[in-house]
Amino acid sequence: MSDKIGIYVCECGPNIASKVDIDKIMEEISNLEDFKDVELVVRNHKLLCSVEGKKFLENEINENNLTHLVCAACSPRDHDTTFINVCKKTELNPYMYQIVNIREQCAWIIPDKEEATEKAIRIIHAGMDRVLYQQPLEEKQLDSNPDVLIIGGGIAGMEAALKLASRDRLIYLIEKTDELGGKSAKLNQLLPRQGVNLNILHQKLSNIKSNKYIKVFTNTELASIVGFLGNFEIVIKDVKDPENTTELLAGAVIVATGYELLDATTLDKYEISEEDEVYNALEIEEMISKNGKIVMKNGKEPQKVAVIHCVGRSEVGYCSQTCCSYLLKISKMLKEQSSKIEVVELFKHLCLPNKQDEAFFEQVKDKDVEFIRIKDVNVTGTSIELTDISDAKQKLDVDMIILGTAMIPAKETKYLAEELKVELDEMGFYQEAHLKINPISTNTDGVFVVGGAHGPTGISESMLQAQAAAGKIFTQLIPGQKIIPEVKVSEILEAYCTGCKTCLDVCGFGAIYFDEDKGISVVNEAICRGCGNCVGSCPSGSIRTRHFTNPQLYQEVKEALR
Amino acid sequence: MEHSENVLIIGSGVAGMEASLMLSKAGKKVTLVEKLSLIGGKTIKNEETYPNMDCSTCLVAPIQQEILQDGNITVLTSSQVTAVSGDAGDFSVKINKKAGYVDLVACLGCGMCYPVCPVEQINEWEENLINMKAIYVPCAGALPNVPVIDADKCLHLNGTDKECNKCVEACMFGAINLVGEDEQLDIDVGAILIATGYDMMDISILTDLGYGKYPGVYTAMEFERLFAANGPTEGNLVMRDGKTVPSSVAIIHCVGRSESHYCSSVCCMASSKHAHFLRHKLKDAKIYNIYSDICLPDKTYQKFYEDVKAHSSQFIYQSDRDKMKITEKNGKLKIEYLDSKEKSAFLDVDMVILANALKPAIGSDELGKVLGINHDKFGFVEAQPFNIGTVVTSKSGVFVAGCAEGPKDIQSSIIQSEAAVAEIMSLLNS
Ligand SMILES: Cc1cc2nc3c(=O)[nH]c(=O)nc-3n(C[C@H](O)[C@H](O)[C@H](O)COP(=O)(O)OP(=O)(O)OC[C@H]3O[C@@H](n4cnc5c(N)ncnc54)[C@H](O)[C@@H]3O)c2cc1C
Ligand SMILES: Cc1cc2nc3c(=O)[nH]c(=O)nc-3n(C[C@H](O)[C@H](O)[C@H](O)COP(=O)(O)OP(=O)(O)OC[C@H]3O[C@@H](n4cnc5c(N)ncnc54)[C@H](O)[C@@H]3O)c2cc1C
Ligand code: SF4
Ligand code: SF4
Ligand code: SF4
Ligand code: SF4
Ligand code: SF4
Repeated sequence: MSDKIGIYVCECGPNIASKVDIDKIMEEISNLEDFKDVELVVRNHKLLCSVEGKKFLENEINENNLTHLVCAACSPRDHDTTFINVCKKTELNPYMYQIVNIREQCAWIIPDKEEATEKAIRIIHAGMDRVLYQQPLEEKQLDSNPDVLIIGGGIAGMEAALKLASRDRLIYLIEKTDELGGKSAKLNQLLPRQGVNLNILHQKLSNIKSNKYIKVFTNTELASIVGFLGNFEIVIKDVKDPENTTELLAGAVIVATGYELLDATTLDKYEISEEDEVYNALEIEEMISKNGKIVMKNGKEPQKVAVIHCVGRSEVGYCSQTCCSYLLKISKMLKEQSSKIEVVELFKHLCLPNKQDEAFFEQVKDKDVEFIRIKDVNVTGTSIELTDISDAKQKLDVDMIILGTAMIPAKETKYLAEELKVELDEMGFYQEAHLKINPISTNTDGVFVVGGAHGPTGISESMLQAQAAAGKIFTQLIPGQKIIPEVKVSEILEAYCTGCKTCLDVCGFGAIYFDEDKGISVVNEAICRGCGNCVGSCPSGSIRTRHFTNPQLYQEVKEALR
Repeated sequence: MEHSENVLIIGSGVAGMEASLMLSKAGKKVTLVEKLSLIGGKTIKNEETYPNMDCSTCLVAPIQQEILQDGNITVLTSSQVTAVSGDAGDFSVKINKKAGYVDLVACLGCGMCYPVCPVEQINEWEENLINMKAIYVPCAGALPNVPVIDADKCLHLNGTDKECNKCVEACMFGAINLVGEDEQLDIDVGAILIATGYDMMDISILTDLGYGKYPGVYTAMEFERLFAANGPTEGNLVMRDGKTVPSSVAIIHCVGRSESHYCSSVCCMASSKHAHFLRHKLKDAKIYNIYSDICLPDKTYQKFYEDVKAHSSQFIYQSDRDKMKITEKNGKLKIEYLDSKEKSAFLDVDMVILANALKPAIGSDELGKVLGINHDKFGFVEAQPFNIGTVVTSKSGVFVAGCAEGPKDIQSSIIQSEAAVAEIMSLLNS
């Protein structure tokens, strides 16, 4: 079939028609010297994007048996999809169509009508040059596995497992310790707004046990993972016997490896040791679990306790968000144990971002807990030197100090990030795909990060994040549905690739792997997003991105700049 | 389940939009109801978004476009839900869509109709800082970019001047028709998401702070519009007289916190952002942030705050936020507050920005009654039980996301929205 290009000039009502000379455009485009051997259909329309305009375009494509289509209209942001959808109703492959923006780029910005017309002709011409070099592309359909691997069995991992598990979706939940529950299982109480007791946690633990669609692997870690959304190949290993591995297949991965607490002994302002009556809040929670109450090493109840906020905050560079509220809870537990215990909270700011926590603060204040707003604090054993907000210095000797230490990334974060091809942020937590508008997803499609692994969070937020990951998986990985990867992806031409591996580092999505046998780099088309970064990086010019190949771009640019 | 493919989403802020798109991708049919004539919620009022100072339009406009072009999403602007009956999986919903008098398909958004309209009215979307016509889009860049006519204000429609036909004559596309009635729509859905966001606390009641009395006193949202390139001053930082550039500005944190009994969690960062904005445009101005607590609830926020503290503003602690008094003398605003030693201190400035508390969206009560759901003591939608990690409301099949549940930033709103999608998908597929 010989080439037949349809060129449709949209008037956009008066928007384009009043600012450029439509007749002249039609005339010149119909008589282009370098297209005199190509069959052209050149038409104009009052409003191509209207219902009637779209019908017109569809008929034109069909009746003229067009092989290529150029729409000279508005910004692709407005109506590229509109015209692609028209193509999809016809035999014309949508990748054989090109939009040329003669509204925003000509009519609306060039006051002189003649000049605007000239430019319009030139860029339509460029579009025609380009479209002749375009190639039909077909969408591929890949089978996908709906099952999900969850790494970390704290509250976030458990919540995700429970939300996702169903008859047609198996969940593999791996936990490196010998028990599920994470830090939450070490707590004695929750916040008042959370109903105080831990029933909800116990309920979840038993629901997981009785759910036959959740396979729990304790004492287990990730050994390796390769693949992409819908198709991950996973190897897990026994922590105690690393040679003992199991292979799994899943379509998505949720990272829920939680956080750790900063070691306060590493801080300059804290001269403390094991022997001192200084504990972090989690140790206090564990102490209550063990002894039923808060006592000193000698078994006696402390008379005077200082609770210090923001420990290590300036060193890590962020607020841990949960400590203000859980330290209020610790003070409340001290006062509940005995109203005689003197409790003083040393804080810089109160960070209580939940609508219900201000009332909790009032409640704790009413329990006769003293609050001192400080600027600075130095701790030596259980002696405290502080500077308060009014710059007054004070010395405080207490029986016990309880620290609200910063939450920091879990130990294996770096290793896991490399395995999963997920970036870390400057604080060492996993980086989200977009902090604001895509906060649970990562750069790797099909890998999600929730709970403390994502950054400091409370139990409620961790659970919401887990549900959010479930929402993403429910809508991206539907059992029985195929996955359609991006079509406009890159490919590496085997004959030209020298195997220098430059592109491997450039790809932010981990889409390129090295074929050791052939000694060349290969793009995994299911992962590639078609960003084109690798194309520019390749010293031997062996990479091209479909629909944006050098000849296509050259043709367009050549004419536009002539 | 009869209507398992259909979902109603009320409110088109970031929370409502995110859920709409996700559900559509999974093949669900979404009806997105928005009471205003434009979608996008509060985020489109902001020029830039903390902490990375992303251009808000760049964040949100692609999402808005995608929604408007999505075949699975029906967007109903200028609309309100008036009645709901039935149960989870099978709700019947009545929606009132106000007549807009402009044909959504025929209108190109060329803007020829507003200049000719003789009516001037206050533009509430622009925080009352500017006027608009009876036929209007609230701001440049509004999506959908189609004007509506305010029937109460239009001379033709309210009967003052039946002859006025100016906008109709100006429209070259025949998109305006001055005959029209509110539409009553009936839809059946399986699940409902409340994403009605927040409104700002009315602080004229805090008479000590002088809002509404002294022209130099602004609310946080007014200031957002003052800074916006598509706002009433096209981004020029001038006072209400349209010319004076302030040389000293104080930003007051926690305004209305004591009255609302919660921390609004976004205003410390928004106020830091405002100091950053001010420094950006007014290199030599004196800028102060007067705070009583600093709440920075994201791993990325402290860095931004430190940066603002170092380069843009002097942060001053006030020991009792209920004791502040603002007065005016010879055009200068005098702020009296208690300093860190609980002694009276004074600050003279040209401009004051009050970071007022976030409140449940206006009309939440009525909507709550229509839906039959519970609110908490503050008037936000209550998530059950005990508000521990859930977006489920007191009524089965009805979910909540974003600031409708309580004040929060964009990412926390989006996380709740994605969580609500999980609940909705589970419900509809069960
Ligand atoms: C003292 C204290 C009191 C608190 N009180 C409250 C409270 O009252 N209310 C509240 O909302 N929040 C509270 N919190 C916060 C709460 O602990 C966290 O929000 C919650 O634990 C986060 O859950 P998570 O599942 O993300 O992480 P974690 O609880 O840390 O769980 C992570 C799990 O992953 C496992 N894991 C880690 N790495 C790997 C790996 N590589 N492979 C496999 N498994 C791995 C860990 O063993 C662990 O089981 C408190 C925190 C502290 C420190
Ligand atoms: C001054 C200020 C600056 C801010 N800056 C930032 C920032 O830089 N970064 C950041 O992360 N966050 C910022 N925030 C917070 C941010 O605005 C919110 O997180 C976000 O807007 C919440 O989105 P939402 O969808 O829940 O609600 P909204 O954005 O409020 O959207 C709700 C939508 O529902 C509609 N609606 C309400 N009631 C009804 C009804 N009954 N029927 C139909 N529709 C209805 C509304 O018209 C609106 O369109 C700022 C807040 C303030 C006050
Ligand atoms: S939550 Fe409170 S104690 Fe924890 S870092 Fe933030 S301000 Fe400090
Ligand atoms: S085009 Fe982008 S995503 Fe694709 S392989 Fe190259 S760098 Fe990676
Ligand atoms: S003049 Fe007509 S087409 Fe232009 S904005 Fe007004 S209604 Fe729309
Ligand atoms: S009819 Fe007249 S008053 Fe009414 S919107 Fe049109 S121009 Fe304005
Ligand atoms: S976020 Fe900051 S300004 Fe807003 S109420 Fe909380 S402490 Fe006050």
